[in-house]
Amino acid sequence: MKNRLMAIILSITTIAVTTGCVIGDDDISNVENMEIAYKDMIVGETATDIKADLKILTNRTDLIDTDFSDYVNEFTSMYPNVTIKYEGITNYESDVTTRLTTENWGDVCCIPATVQLSDLEKYFESFGDYSYFENVYELSDSKMYDNKVYGLPSMGNVSGIVYNTAVFEEAGITELPDTPDEFLNSLKKIADNTDAIPMYTNYAASWTLTAWDSYITGSTGDPDYKRNLLVHLANPFSRQDDLTGPYAIYYTLYEAVNRGLTEEDPTTTDWEGSKVQINAGNIGCMVLGSWSVPQIKKAGENGDDIAYMPFPISVNGHQYASAISDYCYGVNVNSSADNKTAAMLYIKYLTESSGYALAQGGIPIVKDDEYPDFLKDFKNVTLVSDNPALKGEERYFDDINNMSEISLDADPTHVAEIIEAAIDNTKAFDEIMDEWNAAWTKAQQSEGIITD
Amino acid sequence: MSAKRKSKGVEFIRKTWSNMKVQKIIVIITFLFVPLFLLVLFTYLPFFKMVEFSFYDMGYIGSREWVGLDNYIEVFTRDDCLNALKLSGYYLLGSVVQIAIALLFATILSFKPKGSSFFRAMLYFPSLICGISVGFIFKYFYTHGFVLDSIIQLFGIPLDSIPFWLRDTKINNWVLVISSIWRYMGQNMILFIGAIVSVDTTQYDAAAIDGANAWHRFRYIILPSIKTIVIINMILAISGALSVFEIPYVITNGGFGTSTYFVLMDKLAHLNQKVGIASAMAVVLLTLILIVGITQKLVKKYMDSNYSIISSKKRRKSK
Repeated sequence: MKNRLMAIILSITTIAVTTGCVIGDDDISNVENMEIAYKDMIVGETATDIKADLKILTNRTDLIDTDFSDYVNEFTSMYPNVTIKYEGITNYESDVTTRLTTENWGDVCCIPATVQLSDLEKYFESFGDYSYFENVYELSDSKMYDNKVYGLPSMGNVSGIVYNTAVFEEAGITELPDTPDEFLNSLKKIADNTDAIPMYTNYAASWTLTAWDSYITGSTGDPDYKRNLLVHLANPFSRQDDLTGPYAIYYTLYEAVNRGLTEEDPTTTDWEGSKVQINAGNIGCMVLGSWSVPQIKKAGENGDDIAYMPFPISVNGHQYASAISDYCYGVNVNSSADNKTAAMLYIKYLTESSGYALAQGGIPIVKDDEYPDFLKDFKNVTLVSDNPALKGEERYFDDINNMSEISLDADPTHVAEIIEAAIDNTKAFDEIMDEWNAAWTKAQQSEGIITD
Repeated sequence: MSAKRKSKGVEFIRKTWSNMKVQKIIVIITFLFVPLFLLVLFTYLPFFKMVEFSFYDMGYIGSREWVGLDNYIEVFTRDDCLNALKLSGYYLLGSVVQIAIALLFATILSFKPKGSSFFRAMLYFPSLICGISVGFIFKYFYTHGFVLDSIIQLFGIPLDSIPFWLRDTKINNWVLVISSIWRYMGQNMILFIGAIVSVDTTQYDAAAIDGANAWHRFRYIILPSIKTIVIINMILAISGALSVFEIPYVITNGGFGTSTYFVLMDKLAHLNQKVGIASAMAVVLLTLILIVGITQKLVKKYMDSNYSIISSKKRRKSK
């Protein structure tokens, strides 16, 4: 009798518990609206008694116990009832993309590039209209859809080349190169006159390679190029007579590898080690965003030798550099109103008064804030940032980019392909560019875009 | 009247419940429910979702569009998919070598030479390390001028004449296959040792009286007795060769022509956001592996039936 009862009870409870789990998750949560708009918030004055537990997803796993905990302490001294927990994610893009498909992934995350602009409103709370942010923040249009801003940049990155001044001096380079061929000549000088590796590709780390894609805007000097022209141009990867545009960027890489001006064995490069090597003067330069400069300066005793120069492409004798927003903070649209308010207050604190951007080698997004010191080589350079796509064409770039499988800024494989072809001479550079053009054209056609 | 009927009904329920068979069924269902529920939730549900995805043009997030069989057609017409399947050939050949080595060690070690348990543990050890760590170990092992190269230099070969193990497209796939052999050989070996131990030892004594040497013992006693296990291992190796992932993913990240089917699938799904095609690739791979699996079942059945015929013949003879 007892056994029988036990069996029944057990079966009922297991069924109840397990089905309960499933039903519980099916709840449709209501979107709560906030009372105060972002633009009216004043950190330290607005809603200081607010109560919230925030969870923030970040790609900067290295900063959680250092810089971030300082920021949290400073913020919670103003907002004692708010607790903030950071969760670091190493494989950030793809892990967060998966998590976003659930509703309760946390309160704040750095919006991954995989979210198309037209989908932003499904996942993130709007910070307000672009007409406001346009006048106060730089780069605030990078996560914008239909004139609403869904993400604010943590900082801006300038695209250039990190180099070791001591190596350049030893090689006899007196003036910074400003065209691809001059740059290649400089690398040759480093190879001839010093023991350093002229340029280090960081091929093995692979995510480092997408840095090359970020020069596209700077290589043309046209803020409309990436989001408005690239999608309409026929064969955008073809050679331009003045050696500008995307072709020139990848040409520089191909030729450098092909002429033996990079490390011998790219398959076994080591990202952490490369920072130490360039600091010690065993590497001449590396093609990376400005975020890398503080890390490299810290990686050894010769931090003062590390400097940053613009990418060597000149349009009509003038150099441009892309200014790109780093990851943008987005607030979960499904969080409670209090959590959203607290999250936005914290984001306002981070972007306006924490000093995060300067500490991480970026440009602050608040207009007229001062730039970091190492950008002194950029005084004659014009910074350009991408204009948003025209209304109705917001999806074009993402769609074509993914469909062509070139996936600029996301998939390092296309840059890796150049290095592989150059090192073994398996393909001529123009051949690769023809393939890219073909893939791009095919994607444009399937999207129904008439090229000109 | 109604009270009587009610009591009859209660009686009926009481009787069925106390029935041993019914109780057994209840207990079985109760205990099976949790594992089955987990199996369905984490294996079958995602699987059927994936099959569904393979008919859509979709990313992880954003809208999706029904495209029918287009994704499957693309899988079979893409050059890189077919090339990736060709790469499996390297790993297939490697697994033949792997099984041969595993058989050799298993045979030696099952005769309990000095320190056999030490060697057994040593050879099995790589199977216990996680695949990602194995990848990193070999990445540094093959780095130009590092571990392997300095060992070779000890023999007086200058660094200049040593190839770049991972860069040279003529050898890099073989290099990866060797790493894969190192990693999985121990597993095969343990299976073989298990099979060899179950061989009736009196046969060795009988064979020794007839003047059989070690090779004869292996060829005529051990190998026929463990034939089933060898065949099963071979077939498992085929499905293993089709789904190689960790080694090329960690060591070369699919660069320089080492992108296997799984590495390509990962790239398409996560870097190009083409979840539809990646799902279709997974379904195609699953079908291939299912075919291999069914072959394995058939072979095992065939061999088992042969074995039972032989043994029944033997029994009759001894009578």
